[in-house]
Amino acid sequence: MRVEFKGITKKFGPLKAIDDVSLTVEEGDFFTLLGPSGCGKTTLLRTVAGFYTPDAGEILFGTRRINDVPAHRRETGMVFQNYALFPHMNVFENVAYGLKVRRLPAATVSARVHEILARVQLDGLERRAPSQLSGGQQQRVALARALVISPQVLLMDEPLSNLDAKLRVGMREEIKRIQREFKTTTIYVTHDQEEAMAISDRIAIMNRGRLERIGTPLEIYLRPNSRFVAEFMGSSNILEGRVAAYDPGASLLRAEVHGETLVLQAPEPAQREIGIAIRPEWIRLFEHPPAGAVNLFPGEILSASFLGSIMRYRLSGLGQVMLVEVLDPQQAGVWREGARVFFAIDPARPVILTS
Amino acid sequence: MLRRYSGTWTIVLVLAFGVLFLAVVYPLFYIFKASFISPETGGFSLESYRTFFRYPYYLRCLRNSLFVSGMATFFALVIGIPFAFFLARLRIPGKNILKTLGTLPLILPTFIGAEAWLMLLGRNGLLFRLLQHIGLEIPTIYGWRGIVLVFSLQFFPFVFLMVSAAINSIDSSLEEAAVNLGASRLRVFRTVTLPVVTPAVLGGALVVFYLSIENFGVPILIGEDFRVLSVQAYNEFISEMGGNPSMAGALSMILLAITLGLTVLQKYWVERKSYAMTSLNPLEVKRLRPLPTFLIWLFCAGVVAVALFPFVVVVISSVTKTQGPVMYWGQFSLDNFAKAFIVAPRPIINSFFLATAATVLGMVFGIVVSYLIVRRRGAAGYLLDLLIMLPLAIAGTVLGIALAVAYNKGVIVLTGTWMILVLAYFIRKVPFSIKTTASLLHQIDTSIEEASINLGVPPLRSFLKIVVPLMLPGILAGAIIMWVTTLAELSSTIVLYYGPWATMTVEIFQRIGSGDFGPASAYATILIFAVLIPLFVLNKVLGKDLGSAL
Repeated sequence: MRVEFKGITKKFGPLKAIDDVSLTVEEGDFFTLLGPSGCGKTTLLRTVAGFYTPDAGEILFGTRRINDVPAHRRETGMVFQNYALFPHMNVFENVAYGLKVRRLPAATVSARVHEILARVQLDGLERRAPSQLSGGQQQRVALARALVISPQVLLMDEPLSNLDAKLRVGMREEIKRIQREFKTTTIYVTHDQEEAMAISDRIAIMNRGRLERIGTPLEIYLRPNSRFVAEFMGSSNILEGRVAAYDPGASLLRAEVHGETLVLQAPEPAQREIGIAIRPEWIRLFEHPPAGAVNLFPGEILSASFLGSIMRYRLSGLGQVMLVEVLDPQQAGVWREGARVFFAIDPARPVILTS
Repeated sequence: MLRRYSGTWTIVLVLAFGVLFLAVVYPLFYIFKASFISPETGGFSLESYRTFFRYPYYLRCLRNSLFVSGMATFFALVIGIPFAFFLARLRIPGKNILKTLGTLPLILPTFIGAEAWLMLLGRNGLLFRLLQHIGLEIPTIYGWRGIVLVFSLQFFPFVFLMVSAAINSIDSSLEEAAVNLGASRLRVFRTVTLPVVTPAVLGGALVVFYLSIENFGVPILIGEDFRVLSVQAYNEFISEMGGNPSMAGALSMILLAITLGLTVLQKYWVERKSYAMTSLNPLEVKRLRPLPTFLIWLFCAGVVAVALFPFVVVVISSVTKTQGPVMYWGQFSLDNFAKAFIVAPRPIINSFFLATAATVLGMVFGIVVSYLIVRRRGAAGYLLDLLIMLPLAIAGTVLGIALAVAYNKGVIVLTGTWMILVLAYFIRKVPFSIKTTASLLHQIDTSIEEASINLGVPPLRSFLKIVVPLMLPGILAGAIIMWVTTLAELSSTIVLYYGPWATMTVEIFQRIGSGDFGPASAYATILIFAVLIPLFVLNKVLGKDLGSAL
């Protein structure tokens, strides 16, 4: 089922929790609403479930406007942050609940519950009470309960936030696998950018009730369109610069940053004041200045942290603290605090931020 | 949330406000108005209040009330605080039994305690004569000494419970942090433990003071010439029956001002001062050397024994041969029960019927109103919460007088019917039902309800299918508390009952008054067991203790 939001606004008192959001989730998509707490992502999800009524705008399932459909008729399966398993029912009864409501014959209910429990690898635990299950198992019950009614849309509200880090990674693969199997259109809410990138077909980044950016994880990571997106998705060095010249023939832009000149590739001229986003792994470090390097600047290592596959440095250069990540540190060289180095920025990589 | 379905709930909200208006607001307003009307001219007058503040006779009642309540509070603290600390922090034999027995006095009717002390230390009392016999002259139980004795012994459990809860909420890391920073044992106690427990001590003190000042049964039974406000309000009410109850009204308003003041103090001062803590590591329980352990055990067991002894005396006296006030101790007889069950069973039936009716009403009201208060926060919910808890701040005598006066004539006449008793019980005890139900509802996450709706069950049915079953332990606990406290209710009953609708409490009260101790003890024994058995069930089946329900 395709889900379309058209100019959705939701106010709580004077506060606009969602401010004129329009977006489309395609049939079968795994779509993630990503943003910091209070950005409106959960509110938006709850308007789909029917727990909130938008103050303006429409929500469409396919071509059907569902604003006025009561919550219990929306045929959305929701997985809650705290799972919301019925504590007085066992696993089987929890999963069967939605089917019994639909007055299916007992044999069908039983068959479908067993089938879905097998799919989420919970067969054999039918008689357990929710309190006797581990966090990961509770999570699976919640997922099974939402999926067994064959919902038009699967809604997931930070479903992994109560699990420990290792389980979280395992469960997100699991959720992705199950979603691929069922091909149910899924709207997923999280504040964890890594989780969002790993799991989603497409991501919408929200901030203060507004939509910041929509795209595939790769698009958003490589071409953030705003300072907020650049800093929220992964980490970025943001340089404040002043455009000095633009060469349309070579699509090259010259920018002044803290008295130094930076050459950047840019398809079109930019305004005078720009932000330049540079991912830490786009910067290379050198002991001595290599021949013919562009955008080469001196710096001093402030701190070095060894994180296994990468070495993360904070260094002072270009008048600010730069974050640099070096993959495979053994090959690339290791520097200590206080070491004087040179760092180079590839003109093709940085992103010019418009706002 | 779920705005579209608010239709049903709006109706419920209006109904709830209607009930509260008729049962609390209107009667209080009526009595308030009556206190300003001159009985002679029928016009506006401050005469009753002027009389109150001019005549030492009335002022003495106020002073007496404050005095016994203050004394009782002091002694309840002196007993309750060490009791709580010893049981929470030291290894004492029989600790769990001591804890359970230590909370019992608060649920046993105070006027039965008074009866027992009359039988022990009254003019004809067993102990009194025994002591006289061996040449020991002790002051009699009558007057303020007896009142303070009964109050202290029956109300110290409130201090004990509140202070224990505070001690148990302290995480051991808190004291360890202080030790780690270099504080000595004594300093840790003085600078960390004590301040953290202080709000609970204040809270307990206010509760005891409140219960003492609103109590009616004890001072009327053993106060004799020592009159307190609640008793005097009742006396004025009786003497003004039929006329304008201006003096009863004025006394009621003065008592109401005090009890309301105490409640406001509790809510906005003590509750704000308390600390919200979650204890992960309970405090270390220390083992002392044998002699100190024995002395402390002796103190705790002694307190419990002295507090519960009167009730044992009542039970024993119920199967003792009696003739009026003369007890033939040691001679077994079932005459008293025969009288109660065969000759005059009506009070027993009345008590159980009225308590059950009020409890059923309270359960239904409790479920619905808890939902409104917890799930639909907002101005209306807040006001509802405030109004419903208001009766907790009104002395039973005052509420009884207000109801009797307001529904004596006019469109709705209830005075002189059994319905007014049910109404009074319902409104006085329904806060317990709401408290237990609402506290459980607070723990039920909204998402559980939403999950049910999301799976296709309409909101009202989701509430019935999912939320009500989960609230059931709270509903049952509330019902039991309502039922047992209603059975033991004397103060409002004495004002509101008429002839055939006398309850066990009234029967006990009147028979003690006429010195007919045997049958009084039989009814009292029935009452004691009717209170203890449901509480035992509550404890065993639902695993709840009394403290959590009150």
